[in-house]
Amino acid sequence: MATTSQHLLLSPAELAYLHTTLSLSPPLRPDGRTATQFRPLTAETGILPSTNGSARICFADGTEAVVGVKAEVEKTVSVGIPEEDESSRQARQRRRKQARETKSTTTTEEEAEDDAVSSEERRGENEWLELSVEIPGYRDDDSGTVFLASMLSEALLADGELTKKLWINRRFHWKLYLDIILISPPLSYPLPLLSLTTHLALLATRLPRLKSEGDEDPMFDDDWAASQFIFTRGSASTGTSTSRPPITLLVMAVGGNVIFDPSKEELAVADCALAVSVGEAADVETDDAAVVAKGGARALRLLAVRTIDPPSRLTAPGVPNAVNAAAWGQGATTAKETGLRTAETGDVEGVWKAPRGGSKITLISTMVEKVLEKGGVADEVLEGLDGVELA
Amino acid sequence: MTSLKRSVDTDPFASNLSSKVYVRSTKNGKVQKIVREVYLRQDIPCSSRLCSKCIATAPRSAAGNVSPFVLSDKPAGTKAFPQGHYLVPDTNALLNAMDLFEQGSAFFDVVILQTVLEELRNRSLPLYNRLIGLTKSQEKRFYVFFNEFRLETYVNREVDESINDRNDRAVRHAVKWYNDHLGQTKSKDVPVTVMLSDDRGNLEKAKQDKVPAIRLRDYVSGLKDAERLLDMIAESQERVASKEKKAEFLYPEYFSLSKMMTGVKSGMLHQGIFNVSPYNYLEGSIKVPAFPKPLLILGRDNINRSVDGDVVVVEVLPQDQWKEPSTKIIEEEAITKNENADNDEDAADVVTEKERRALQEQVKKTQGLTTEGRPQPTAKVVGVIKRNWRQYVGHVDPSTVSQTARQGRKQESVFLIPMDKKIPKIRIRTRQAGELLGKRILVTIDSWDREHRNPVGHFVRSLGELETKAAETEALLLEYDVQYRPFPKTVLDCLPSEGHDWKVPTSTDDPGWKDREDLRGLLICSIDPIGCQDIDDALHARPLPNGNYEVGVHIADVSHFVKPANAMDTEASIRGTTVYLVDKRIDMLPMLLGTDLCSLKPYVERYAFSVLWELSPSADIVDVRFTKSVIKSREAFSYEQAQLRIDDASQQDDLTAGMRTLLMLSKKLKQKRMDAGALSLSSPEVKVQMESETSDPIDVKTKELLDTNSLVEEFMLLANISVARKIYDAFPQTAILRRHGAPPKTNFDELANQLKVKRGLELRFDSSKALADSLDACADTSEPFFNTLVRIMATRCMMSAEYFCAGTQSYPEFRHYGLASEIYTHFTSPIRRYADLVAHRQLAAAIDYEAMHPAVRARGRLEAVCKNINVRHRNAQLAGRASVAYYVGQSLKGRVAEEDAFVMRIFSNGFVVLVPPLRHRGPHPPARPRRPGARERLRRRELHPAPLRRLRRAVELFQKVRVRIRDVKDEATGKRGAKMELVAPAA
Repeated sequence: MATTSQHLLLSPAELAYLHTTLSLSPPLRPDGRTATQFRPLTAETGILPSTNGSARICFADGTEAVVGVKAEVEKTVSVGIPEEDESSRQARQRRRKQARETKSTTTTEEEAEDDAVSSEERRGENEWLELSVEIPGYRDDDSGTVFLASMLSEALLADGELTKKLWINRRFHWKLYLDIILISPPLSYPLPLLSLTTHLALLATRLPRLKSEGDEDPMFDDDWAASQFIFTRGSASTGTSTSRPPITLLVMAVGGNVIFDPSKEELAVADCALAVSVGEAADVETDDAAVVAKGGARALRLLAVRTIDPPSRLTAPGVPNAVNAAAWGQGATTAKETGLRTAETGDVEGVWKAPRGGSKITLISTMVEKVLEKGGVADEVLEGLDGVELA
Repeated sequence: MTSLKRSVDTDPFASNLSSKVYVRSTKNGKVQKIVREVYLRQDIPCSSRLCSKCIATAPRSAAGNVSPFVLSDKPAGTKAFPQGHYLVPDTNALLNAMDLFEQGSAFFDVVILQTVLEELRNRSLPLYNRLIGLTKSQEKRFYVFFNEFRLETYVNREVDESINDRNDRAVRHAVKWYNDHLGQTKSKDVPVTVMLSDDRGNLEKAKQDKVPAIRLRDYVSGLKDAERLLDMIAESQERVASKEKKAEFLYPEYFSLSKMMTGVKSGMLHQGIFNVSPYNYLEGSIKVPAFPKPLLILGRDNINRSVDGDVVVVEVLPQDQWKEPSTKIIEEEAITKNENADNDEDAADVVTEKERRALQEQVKKTQGLTTEGRPQPTAKVVGVIKRNWRQYVGHVDPSTVSQTARQGRKQESVFLIPMDKKIPKIRIRTRQAGELLGKRILVTIDSWDREHRNPVGHFVRSLGELETKAAETEALLLEYDVQYRPFPKTVLDCLPSEGHDWKVPTSTDDPGWKDREDLRGLLICSIDPIGCQDIDDALHARPLPNGNYEVGVHIADVSHFVKPANAMDTEASIRGTTVYLVDKRIDMLPMLLGTDLCSLKPYVERYAFSVLWELSPSADIVDVRFTKSVIKSREAFSYEQAQLRIDDASQQDDLTAGMRTLLMLSKKLKQKRMDAGALSLSSPEVKVQMESETSDPIDVKTKELLDTNSLVEEFMLLANISVARKIYDAFPQTAILRRHGAPPKTNFDELANQLKVKRGLELRFDSSKALADSLDACADTSEPFFNTLVRIMATRCMMSAEYFCAGTQSYPEFRHYGLASEIYTHFTSPIRRYADLVAHRQLAAAIDYEAMHPAVRARGRLEAVCKNINVRHRNAQLAGRASVAYYVGQSLKGRVAEEDAFVMRIFSNGFVVLVPPLRHRGPHPPARPRRPGARERLRRRELHPAPLRRLRRAVELFQKVRVRIRDVKDEATGKRGAKMELVAPAA
């Protein structure tokens, strides 16, 4: 992972020290944060006046990102019959109607099509969202950038809630263009920063108010003040459910400790790093197993988990000659020298050793649980973002 | 986690920076958020002559001049504002009472705020244009104050404030600022700046803010002549306020705009211009691309509040409701005669019983006729895209005026019967009903709501007594949108300063002689109708040594006097053509040019634009060239004089010889043209058209056609064609040409059918030649007029000729059907037609005489010019004809005449006849020098008989009948019209 390993100039001794301190209970982090503490950040919205929504977030370590959201009306290409236009669709409906009248046998399918748009039909397509990520100093086809972009869009598209909101009518939809730009050099792995900024930008995104009805060509109110937020914000007091775009958090584990929002140095010694995408379940009644609804608090919902290879995984550990096929001449010595082998492969206190092998499944589930738990980090982050004024 | 919210105050430049945010939907469906930054200034002047502060800081032009301040330092006072006042109308005031602001007696010193101006433009473009016109006039002292750009008057939109509220607040704020600002001047009588509004909410808020404001009505009541002025306030807004309780809708609701657009795009709905049948006010038609024949719209419900000329969207009705076009004459006055304007709402149904009965009979008829006439698709109007309401001339229906109103000053609703039969009755509220009785008045339509049977309008002004010459003429000119005001000073300033003393410079070194050929030595003469003053054209011919002839057509060089894009040119391009009424001529160019400086008068030198041919003895063109020239006409002949001179064998001078040569060549030219399939159509309409083509009458029947008539005509056609070729070669994109489209075949179907059935004659119409030949064959030896009748009816089936810009059509489309010419333009009458003037300029550029002016080169502009002059020509023709009709009606007044007539069209309750020229008829209207042919046109007319109730005998198409013509004034409606009675079908 090019981005994660950038500018990592730490000696093995330093790495070993970091690993050790982070493995303590409670862990000692280089910047003195607790395990679940986020870096302080400042946020604002509405900084790009001609976008539909925009946000800027600045982390205390100096990384800064800007996200702009632009929306365009697009014609929906019908999947059922390609290039079907309005007239032929209506003609088809008429034929069906006639057929139905003559046969007087109705099928539920046909009914559904003629009826008013059911919620079932309000389904978005993944293509309705286009996302581009720009990291200074990297090409846009750099594997790291592409990976970031796909992780971010994966989270946004995972529950289909966002694209559903882009539906205008059967013939038209909004297409959202998200431009995610990291302004500062990537001092740390930018995933959480970009995700939070995107989240905020989408919260601030407004679309012109639709004036037309049904499947007409859409016409919109030309008063910007009348435009509507994509994500409506309910007030906590009235208890109306608020839907929000998902966020992706970076979590890592060192030893038994689960550490949130790791800095670059911390990530260098991670045993395991996860990108956990969390959304807010719009309604609690879904019987999805992943929904962790506790009381009246926000119902969080796990959308996606990705492992991220920390740099520690990228440096190949030394291989003892005994097992090294390349050194087969001398390597095939006796099994007596086990002490030597242990020295090469086993853990020695105070010596940095890159982790080997996979993470335990229990560790991963602990990490995920930590993210989702009530009053946990995700909750806290969402709470914090709630406080940002929307311009 | 911190939220960073930048406050506006921290920005040092924030105070004079603001922005406007709105959503823009583009035509191709894009929806964009637009942010415009607004930079606020402090140097925008208040423009009051009282203010010394603003004049010091007002922005200066590049030359260092400040534009003069507009608002008077001693504005007029009223009772309420004795110290004088400036008016600041809000948008509603302008929307409701633009006519008031145009009054010459009141409404001076008006500040038009930018906020209001922009709002008005969004609401109504015509009103906006009228207001812009007002702000340009010097004497009205209207000033546009850009309050949205001035720091002190700029208003930020508040949270949850609607745009309207914000704009109202901006207006109040600006008024307040004006008062504060002027209060700082040292003068003792500071005028009050008053907001003029019709919006109750706005007025109340103004009262709270202590901003001087007054209701429009209250203000007008305080003026002199208040009653007349009060009538000019639009009707609608008052009614909304007074009767909100009533919500019974008579008409179906219109679709939303988006629904209509979607429908039109997908082909479910159709958009087009709504036309009302001249015979039946309950039947309209609309031509849409999707159907070969126009869609019919029958009945009030389906017409759904559209007025003739509106751009509407229609929905086609199911096939079982398709009908034939009506076979009945239905006139609005006849059916709705006894309706009361005040009781409008009580008639719960839109369609009255009588109307229903009228339509019912028709439906029965349609059903009986299923085999013969195919029903036409019908449609109903579902929405109006654009209203094309204009001002309408009409008179008050006397039966709707109550007795009390005839004396008192009570406000009441009356019906106005428009002159144009296609326009429905308009309901107006007035206090002066008694005075308006028997007057020609001008009104506008304000609105047509769902709960009103008839459109609601308001009085604009009175033109004078009914049936007085002045009022009727003005009414005609207004109805056909003819510019009849005297030329403004800016136009007259463009005339040569020498006036009538202008002469062709004697020295050939003069710049006027540059590139001009000296043709003063040629024996040129002009041939025109008697008394013609504006002589456009002159001719000459002489033999060449090689046996060929040199023939020259010399046209008045108007483009020398009218330079492109100056005030005179602009005025002429708007007028488009000279309009000839029976007793009046409305010139396109000022008299000085038309009848003197440009006119190719005899015995004096004049500038001309000459077309010179070398023609072989068989009249083939050997060579043609074009040149600007100086000529001296030897003689101005009338047609008769010229004919006499040619026929007189004793005349052997060179001039006469030249004329004889011309005559000989013209006959050959004519033969060639006829062989090519040119039509000779004899009808009132086509004759008019042909006249404009050639400036000559070609009236075959009423008058012995002299050879000299066709002599001039042939050479004018030849010149026009030659010029058309030349300018098209030079400017294939921008050349101004004239085309006459081939008529759609279906147009002739009915006529051909009827001819076959009734007379056994065949009409072929696959080409103009075939048509010309078969028309010749349509003759009845016993009735010479029959041929003319058929020709007239054939002409009705044709398209009208039109000007166009060469780049807009492909070459095959250039064809002039009537003249059977591949290409054609108008070149020979620049004094009375603007198109000719443009052709002159293009030809001058084509022969490298002068550079092409950008205005003549820009295709977009030329297209606009063509569009305008096409409309103006049509209107000029209609106005001319209406003027004739009026005089014929007047000459018949109180008399009864019996005439032979021919049946042209049959309805189930009447028929239309054509009365052939009334040869020895009584007095004609006073004849003054006017356009040739007007007199002939007088003699032919067509009258729509009133429904013939006791039509016992069967009447057939083309039949000759004897009718009694009587002039009748309908006492109820006050409308005069010729009534006809069938005396006997002539044998």
